[in-house]
Amino acid sequence: MPEPVGAGGTPKFTVLVADDNDVAQRLCKRVLEKAGYNVIVAMDGLQAVDVALSQRPSMILMDVAMPGIDGLEAMRRIKAQLPAMPVVIASAHSMASDTDRFLAAGADKVLSKPFRLADLVAIVGQLAGKK
Amino acid sequence: MRRATPLAAIAAVFAVEAAVGAGPVLAFPLYLTIIMLTALQLSRIESLETAVLSAIAILVPTLVRGERTSVVATAMLLALVLIVAALVVTAVRLQVFQKAAIAQRRADDTAASEERMRMMLEAAMVGLALVDGDGRWQQVNDRLGLILGRSRDELPQLTLEEVTAESDRPALVEALGLLRSGDIVRWEAELYQVRGDGTRVPVSVAISNTPGRASSQSLLLVQETDISARKRLDGLRDTLVAIRHIIVSGLTWEQAVPQLLGGLCTYLDWDLAQFWAADHDRQSLRVRHFWHREASGFEAFREESRATAIPMGFGLLGRVWQSGVVASIDDLSRVNDYSRSDLARGAGLNSVLAFPVVENGVVVGAIELLARHVRAVQDDEVTMLSTVGVEIGQFIRRSDITQALRRSEADHRAIFERSPIGIVRISSDGELVESNPAVLSMLGHDFEALRAGAWPDLLRAYDQAAGRQQMAPLLAGITSGSTVQVRAATASGKWLWLQLTATSIPDSVGRPEHVLVMIEDVTTVRETSDQLAEALESQRSANANLEKLDQTKTEFLSIVSHEFRTALTGIQGFSELIRDGGLETEELKAYGGYIFNDADRINRLIGDMLDLDRMESGRMSMRTGDVDINEVLSEAIARAGTSAATVEFEADLDPRLPIVAGDRDRLIQVVSNLVNNAVKYSPDGGKVTLSTRGEGGFALVSVADTGLGIPPDEIGHVFERFRRVRSGAAQSIPGTGLGLTIVKQIVEMHGGKIWVESAVGHGSAFHFTIPLAAEETSPLRRHA
Repeated sequence: MPEPVGAGGTPKFTVLVADDNDVAQRLCKRVLEKAGYNVIVAMDGLQAVDVALSQRPSMILMDVAMPGIDGLEAMRRIKAQLPAMPVVIASAHSMASDTDRFLAAGADKVLSKPFRLADLVAIVGQLAGKK
Repeated sequence: MRRATPLAAIAAVFAVEAAVGAGPVLAFPLYLTIIMLTALQLSRIESLETAVLSAIAILVPTLVRGERTSVVATAMLLALVLIVAALVVTAVRLQVFQKAAIAQRRADDTAASEERMRMMLEAAMVGLALVDGDGRWQQVNDRLGLILGRSRDELPQLTLEEVTAESDRPALVEALGLLRSGDIVRWEAELYQVRGDGTRVPVSVAISNTPGRASSQSLLLVQETDISARKRLDGLRDTLVAIRHIIVSGLTWEQAVPQLLGGLCTYLDWDLAQFWAADHDRQSLRVRHFWHREASGFEAFREESRATAIPMGFGLLGRVWQSGVVASIDDLSRVNDYSRSDLARGAGLNSVLAFPVVENGVVVGAIELLARHVRAVQDDEVTMLSTVGVEIGQFIRRSDITQALRRSEADHRAIFERSPIGIVRISSDGELVESNPAVLSMLGHDFEALRAGAWPDLLRAYDQAAGRQQMAPLLAGITSGSTVQVRAATASGKWLWLQLTATSIPDSVGRPEHVLVMIEDVTTVRETSDQLAEALESQRSANANLEKLDQTKTEFLSIVSHEFRTALTGIQGFSELIRDGGLETEELKAYGGYIFNDADRINRLIGDMLDLDRMESGRMSMRTGDVDINEVLSEAIARAGTSAATVEFEADLDPRLPIVAGDRDRLIQVVSNLVNNAVKYSPDGGKVTLSTRGEGGFALVSVADTGLGIPPDEIGHVFERFRRVRSGAAQSIPGTGLGLTIVKQIVEMHGGKIWVESAVGHGSAFHFTIPLAAEETSPLRRHA
């Protein structure tokens, strides 16, 4: 595994993938790591909050339907502490009304599942480019 | 002077004797003349004195001269004659004088008496006069002149008849005739006379024959008293009484007006009266009522009045309207403030008065009175008419209200009689007082039957129904409009639904005097409304179901699409990775595995959903046959045991459990689902116990584990679609969320029940029942 540190000695762009679905988690991790990002994972909402607050990732890719607290509640809690933390909601709830609901709840971007791998890379790339 | 007379007489005698020198005989006439003169002296003594002195004067010269005896005798005789003559003349003269004095005294007395009488007559408060047989005035006193307003010179040119008011003349003429004929000696009456200025004056008159004269040329004594003051007061009093009498007689305004106007004219001596009313918008006064004495010639005036609209403040009436004060014109010929003056005078009307009719402080009209004679209006009459105006105003107001009340009473009566709604009036103790025709025809009773029987029944029914609704009985504390529906039978035995609405009608002090009860036949309404309510209720529940169905469907769609998309995420993502190439064999294998699992999951989802749909829509057929539950369980354990090495299975199967009637494949599906769940939710191993028991007509099957257990807030939902316990350690346990839903459907399709007991950390136990095959109650069957 490569060191999570970029060429200039600055920390590598780190994405927190929060998803209870093992397959989706693996897919994201595989794709983003191949795109050159550092990936850490969380299995549910509470864990996502813990990891986000303790490890301060560069952004979060957050599923919604998770046990315990859902992704939206987790996002609220994280943003209460870290208002500037970019959160991309990646959910299989992908009707138009759902997308609006997520944006209203404070999501920076919304990625509907299933997604094209290029879309995932592009969204993360946009946020990484801003940094 | 008198004292000197006798001396003068003696001197005269001597002078005569000396002058004539004649003898006494010759001188005698002279003496006699002297004596006669002396006799004219005032008193007898003086006369006698003078006669004696004259006699002495005659004798003395004779004696002195010593005349012869004859001469002396003659002289003495002469003296004697002289004295006697003097005495006689004196006596006669005295007598004459006395008589004259008496006569004079008498005459003086008469004159004085007459003077006194005259003064009395003149001073009398009573007018006195003599009239001759033709009724012509002969003598009048000042008072009479005053009463009649004419000079004493003027009167003798007139007759009694001529100064008497036209209306009273016939009576007067008749009375004069009777007096002349001597049939009566005295006539008394009250009548009107016409004064010099044309006004009329009421007088009390007494005419009597003067006594001691022949009736043919008799003079009549006329006594007159001016009774105008009394008459006016009487008139005012009578007017007020009459007006009040009319006002309280219970007449309507329309009926009363002619009587009021007529009364004013009769009692106050006017000829014509009109009531002028103000318009609604108070723009003008217009004539509303008219009254006049029996006389003609008023038509033109009446027409003109009718056509006239008098603005406020204009003319006599306009001023009265504006000011609310009585106003009058005594003589229309002298004043130019009356627009209809010419026509009024053309009709012979000369005086006019108007007084306001005041209602509640507002002048609502005026009454105009006109008279032919010139009429001076007195202050007390003005005051009285002001009062009358107010009383009439109040009367109008009362009359308006009364009329409105009568009208509304009539309206209410009509409503009562013709109303299709039954109305009864009952006394405060519940007795039926009155019933309208609608009630009678509704119930088919006559009034008596209603009063005696049907009404008391109805009252009881009301109270019972009211009691059930926690309402007061009809008679106790009725509040307005309490409504109750009761069953009631008609005379022909038909049952009706009647709606009773009771309203109490308070008397003037607020106590409930009567109770009105409205009775409506609501049988049809009630039946219809019952049906309607039923229809509405079923519609409502259908709507609720539809709504719920719709909501369920939306939720279902959302959940299903989420499940599919989640599964597809892996399939799409990993197949894209594989397609893009560059993967190592290990990776390819792993990704293929993910894809397969998700595809399989989708397949199972579709299968479960189709199953569920078929079961729920009743389209799933059951192949019912004999099923040995113990055998199904044993097979399930055998299958599960090979794949779940961490879990220990235990079977507690009742060997006497009868065969059940069911679809074997479906029952296998139930059991394996429960067993799979038990294994899945026992991630750390543990024991799964399967047991059977016969209970009543059912086989009771239990699948218990020692796994995670179900949290209390989830346990009520485990049989719902897509409900999966995902908290804590259970979150990563895969499933479609449809398994238990399908299990429940299958059990219920067999006529059984399913339930669950669970405690977090201790495990869960699912129990279900399946009815035993009806004819197969023998426990020996399966071993046969």
